[in-house]
Amino acid sequence: MRIIRKAAVLGLIAAAGFAAAAAQAADDPIATRQAIMSSVGAAAGLGGGMMKGEIDYSPAAGKAAIATMQAAALSYGDFFPEGSDQGETGATAAIWENPDGFAGELAKFAAATTSAMEASGKSGPADIEAFKAAFGPVLGSCKSCHETYRKQN
Amino acid sequence: MKKAVIALLVLALLAAGIGWVLSAPTRMSEAEAAALKAGDPAKGELVFWAGGCASCHAEKGAKGDDLLKLGGGLRLDTPFGVFVAPNISSSETDGIGAWSLEDFANAMTHGTSPDGKNLYPAFPYTSYARMTGGDLGDLYAFLQSLPAVDGKAADHELGFPFNIRRGLGLWKRIFLDTDPVILDPVSREEVDLALWQRGRYLVEGPGHCGECHTRRDLAGGLVLDEWLGGAPAPTGEGTIPNITPVEGGFGSWSDADIAYYLESGFTPDYDSVGGEMVHVQENMARLPASDREAIAAYLKAIPPVSK
Repeated sequence: MRIIRKAAVLGLIAAAGFAAAAAQAADDPIATRQAIMSSVGAAAGLGGGMMKGEIDYSPAAGKAAIATMQAAALSYGDFFPEGSDQGETGATAAIWENPDGFAGELAKFAAATTSAMEASGKSGPADIEAFKAAFGPVLGSCKSCHETYRKQN
Repeated sequence: MKKAVIALLVLALLAAGIGWVLSAPTRMSEAEAAALKAGDPAKGELVFWAGGCASCHAEKGAKGDDLLKLGGGLRLDTPFGVFVAPNISSSETDGIGAWSLEDFANAMTHGTSPDGKNLYPAFPYTSYARMTGGDLGDLYAFLQSLPAVDGKAADHELGFPFNIRRGLGLWKRIFLDTDPVILDPVSREEVDLALWQRGRYLVEGPGHCGECHTRRDLAGGLVLDEWLGGAPAPTGEGTIPNITPVEGGFGSWSDADIAYYLESGFTPDYDSVGGEMVHVQENMARLPASDREAIAAYLKAIPPVSK
């Protein structure tokens, strides 16, 4: 009984945590989308480093990079509400002026990550060649979106 | 009193006369023109990518073979007004198909059109003026081999005084200079001089990197003391970065990082290229690896600009 209560309390705490995170996301979409994009940058750094041979390849690391990209691709577009073009953001006005174009770029990103997930199976792409084939197209989708939808820097 | 008025009038006329003479569009000398010869279109293709012609003269968003259809039309919305890239396809009526090599070279190096008008420096002849006659001949041959595209582009939309082409003649006298910007490699002990000079040629000449990466003064001239030190974006939002070897900034990029960025579009920390630089990077990726290494060698050995 006591254990159950403890679990319930823990569950509540966890739920509260999620709720708080969600509330924070709703309050500060710029911070949230930047956090997502920094996870994309870290995954690209891991994957790119392995492709260049600077980091030893392992299937688990390959899968971590791909799965991170997949999570980002599916969630990223939810954090561009009206009005969030103001503030410290690299997002261009084109995101809100041409939402279909932006959605199209996100769809390309998601299509590349979904294929990569399918190719990586349960334990990740077996070797670096398999990883390159899966991850290359994911990296290829970065700049076609950044060309129009991110401010120059 | 009457005498004074007449004297003033004479002076004003004289000043106007001198201004008129100084603002006249210039051309190559006869000797320079005679030395030109139409070159090899295959070599000209590399010059074409190095020069980034398609970035403005092809249709916005063009990829692949569409980059070779140079009908113009791209609008550059700048603080001086809107410049519209003209048709430079091989169409004889709407493009430059009827231009002689000399006409082409005068546009590229003197900013002067075949009918003797000053061209606006949105067309970066201030950089192209540093190109060799050989490269101009090759580029001309390549451009003439590309498809003709019908239709003239719209006119520029400029306010006073920028709408007076004649005035550009004076501007060119001040800002059109074919000398190298950076005379010698700096801030590095061992430099492969031939590689560095090749990099300088690409960056200061056809690549016209300084046109965006260097700040402009109120008259629209590049501030050469801050060469490649970064600037507000001339079109669109954001800023163009400082690409001098400055500590805490671009100086942390190695030669290999710079060459890899130009090849792949990824920075050392795997951010991707964006904005107008996407075109530039994709053009640079078409050059031989040695050219990307040359650009890196040059950028690593120029004066750092700290601001």
